[in-house]
Amino acid sequence: MIFSYNWLQSFFEKKIPAPEKIAEVLTMRSFEVKGLKNISLPSGSEDTVLDIDVLPNRTHDCFSHFGVAKEISALFNIPLKPEEKTKFETVKAKAEDFLKLEVREPELCRRYIAGIILGVKVGPSPKWLEERLISVGQKPINNIVDAANYVMFDLGQPLHAFDIDKIKPVHIIVRRAVKGEKITTLDNKEFILDKDVLVIADSRDPLAIAGIKGGKKAEIDKKTANIILESANFDSVNIRLTSQKLGLKTGASVGFENEISPVLALKAIERLTSLICEIAGGKRVAERIDFYSKKIRTPKISFKASDVSKLIGETVPEKEISAILNRLGFEVKKAKGIFIATGPGERLDLVLKEDIIEEIARLYGYQKISSRIPEGILTPAQRNDNFFYENMARDSLVNAGFSEVYNYSFSPTGEIGVENPIAIDKKYLRMNLWNGLIINAAQNLKYFDEIRIFEIGKVFGRVGETVIEKNKLAGIVVLEKTKEKEQFHEIKGLLETLFMQLGINDFWLDDTPTSEGPETLVKIRVGQEIIGHVYHHNVFELDLEKLIELATEEIEYRPVSKYPAVIRDIAVLVPFETKMTNVTDIIENTGGELLIDSDLFDVYESEELGESRKSLAFHLIFQSPVKTLSDKEVNALMERIIKAVESVEDWEVRK
Amino acid sequence: MAKKQSPDIFQSLRKDAFEALEEASDFESVKKIETDYTGKSGRLTKVLRSLKDLPPPERKTMGSTANALKKEIEEKIRAKKAEFETKDHARPNGRRIDISAPGKKFLKGHLHPLSRVIRDVSSVFESMGFEIVEGPEVETEHYNFDTLNIPKNHPARDMWNTFWLDSKLLLRTHTSPNQMRYMEKNQPPFRIIVPGRCFRYEATDTTHEIQFYQAEGLMIGEKTSLANLKGVMEVFFQKFFKDKNLETRFRPGYFPFVEPGIEVDVKFKGNWLEIAGAGMIHPQVIKNAKLNPSEWQGFAFGMGLDRLAMLKYKIDDIRLFYSGDLRFINQF
Repeated sequence: MIFSYNWLQSFFEKKIPAPEKIAEVLTMRSFEVKGLKNISLPSGSEDTVLDIDVLPNRTHDCFSHFGVAKEISALFNIPLKPEEKTKFETVKAKAEDFLKLEVREPELCRRYIAGIILGVKVGPSPKWLEERLISVGQKPINNIVDAANYVMFDLGQPLHAFDIDKIKPVHIIVRRAVKGEKITTLDNKEFILDKDVLVIADSRDPLAIAGIKGGKKAEIDKKTANIILESANFDSVNIRLTSQKLGLKTGASVGFENEISPVLALKAIERLTSLICEIAGGKRVAERIDFYSKKIRTPKISFKASDVSKLIGETVPEKEISAILNRLGFEVKKAKGIFIATGPGERLDLVLKEDIIEEIARLYGYQKISSRIPEGILTPAQRNDNFFYENMARDSLVNAGFSEVYNYSFSPTGEIGVENPIAIDKKYLRMNLWNGLIINAAQNLKYFDEIRIFEIGKVFGRVGETVIEKNKLAGIVVLEKTKEKEQFHEIKGLLETLFMQLGINDFWLDDTPTSEGPETLVKIRVGQEIIGHVYHHNVFELDLEKLIELATEEIEYRPVSKYPAVIRDIAVLVPFETKMTNVTDIIENTGGELLIDSDLFDVYESEELGESRKSLAFHLIFQSPVKTLSDKEVNALMERIIKAVESVEDWEVRK
Repeated sequence: MAKKQSPDIFQSLRKDAFEALEEASDFESVKKIETDYTGKSGRLTKVLRSLKDLPPPERKTMGSTANALKKEIEEKIRAKKAEFETKDHARPNGRRIDISAPGKKFLKGHLHPLSRVIRDVSSVFESMGFEIVEGPEVETEHYNFDTLNIPKNHPARDMWNTFWLDSKLLLRTHTSPNQMRYMEKNQPPFRIIVPGRCFRYEATDTTHEIQFYQAEGLMIGEKTSLANLKGVMEVFFQKFFKDKNLETRFRPGYFPFVEPGIEVDVKFKGNWLEIAGAGMIHPQVIKNAKLNPSEWQGFAFGMGLDRLAMLKYKIDDIRLFYSGDLRFINQF
């Protein structure tokens, strides 16, 4: 909110510090001052405006120059000047004699003060008043409206004035609107209301949307002579809901949403009456109507000095505690070591002793509290396995040459819809990661020949009524056209490395077609459990939670054989669709314990091998833990392996 | 009968070998001389082999002369080799290597900068005894707002523009719901740090995104104070930015779930930057977790990790994090 330096100064007799100094101290002890600007006013005088970010818990008492002046008074210990005696001509009468007030919704309107001024002369405001409004970015209208506006910026109480002669009979009713009821506001806009909207009405029509905007019917105009002044307090939640529903946000609605104190209403109507009588003439009807259903309690909080030091970790001298609270306008009593602070009525934010401690701490100065490292830790923090293994997986992929991307959690399709999507392609929560990676790959191919990327993140789905959130790991490989076939094997190699690092052994790929999808949908299994899929032979997605459940850091050492290993090669000619694992299964089962490894080193397809045949070549490694194997022994094993392989129809060992 | 070997043969062998070595201009020619003299069928080797046919006394004197000469030549060869080795240290096959040519590229992937920051932040807090905790991204109104003392229809809710889902759920607007989730299940004292993705319904620009990362911290004890919060924040920022002199300051802030509420600023190049929100946990929040606020007190803080990453790596646009652009990612 914008504040005028000169306006703030008007609350003091003594000169207040320069705007820069005020900005600095306010920022450190009250609210951040986001900017300072020097302005020139029409009369040629100068002012400085401060853009102050009043904290949300203080908007109820500091969205006004008076509120900020009180802070300045407390921070710099400069007293506010006593309020001026109001002087105006009075008609000895009661407002009740002129109007009938009926508050039908005391829950939504806890205070309604109506005052009457007779014989005003509507016209332009005096220069000083116009300039005050201009300095805070308001446009002057006429002396009555300007005066109400001025008092709102001065004290924070929204006010309204009605032309009494336009209301017949003079009957003010605070009620809920009837469904379908219409009102035309001062800016000539029509609103259709319903029963959730509170209105100020006469016996026939709504005169104003309570606390938000005045209506055309009882508008102040050039001919207005007699006025009703309204200074009320409306329920903050109702004002907020109405303002949101009607799409109508005004200075008044913001004020009431902040839940200002009802004590302000009286102070504000006195100030307004006096100001109007001064600048527009007229006589005040001596007695106002004051409907005040539920009086608020003045904040009264008791605490001990030790409560302060316990919470903030620093001892503030008792004298200083009292001095700070006095400067903030509290009345402080101390008995048997207990402070009792009775606060200013407008400070509705002060309820608990922690609230008072905050006041003491910020005025004492947070920079004066010395920092302390919490006392010793006896046990180290419990390791988070999820976090640990997720990072291990990340490192494994990065070390294998994959780069990590983060995509949006939103997607154009999905199972969980967003009620208020920010864009059409973000109407749902994403169901998988791999679709995003395909788009990333396509975009990056403009700049790179080969793409290897991965993502770890949450995906969302629904099981019955329940929203399911799962952590996934997905990756994609895109190589140049000529190397397209290698993509799948890169993915497989990557998975092998990943599973090995996570200590998971029995991982395998399964392309048995199922009802779930075509052969291009390869299932990634550990034992019998499916923990992910490879799509289109170049993208995979894993259930990271299942993966982490299976992960282990256990490593068991097996002694290295002292005896040399013997390596023999074997090439097997098989039908094209034969799986390599079928061949290794037979070789390994026949080779027994002495065959310690079989390593595929070549896959060869050529016309010379005949239609739809391929050659698989393996290194077979034989080793005994107890002796050096002789040629004879290895030859015998090889014979057996060759025989076993050739016993399969259509398989042949190349010689 | 073997040919009689005169001592002269040693003289001429010695002379030839030494002259050749003197003239040798590179490693390769020394190796050739080695083969020519002391190699399997070298001149000296041949002479040595023929000695076995001599009568024993002669064999003995000739033998010792021959062996002494062999030693001498070998010594000289070794010295010559060493000389050339130091001169053209990396010259296998006799070709010079251009060490200014680029090294062989190994395939290397890149960690996302936010992953780096999440790790760094977590590890500093782990070293201070904070346990890493995670929570769901889809939240209930109860945990995201209600239990954090943010009432429905209160203007304070405007601080969090929310994405609502079709099932009365929402995308968490901060990591703070995990304060309550953790407090409900654990008995104090404790210290936790919760890194995670959050969402806000707002227009994007270079400093605002609809999704971003936060780290929430929570510490509760019998005497955990604002001074402790100050200590922990100072240590964290100094360690994270690797600057022992980094200045931190506290000023008033407001978050409904803390009291007092604090804004934490850090000084970079002479400017104070707002970098975390913090405060002492509001007694109502402690009560909501079914703990007794007169027994337990503590602090909470939350900071934007995207902002930390932007400061640390001098990134000028938050949207780059979620662009999937490898020209960006590959720099980390």
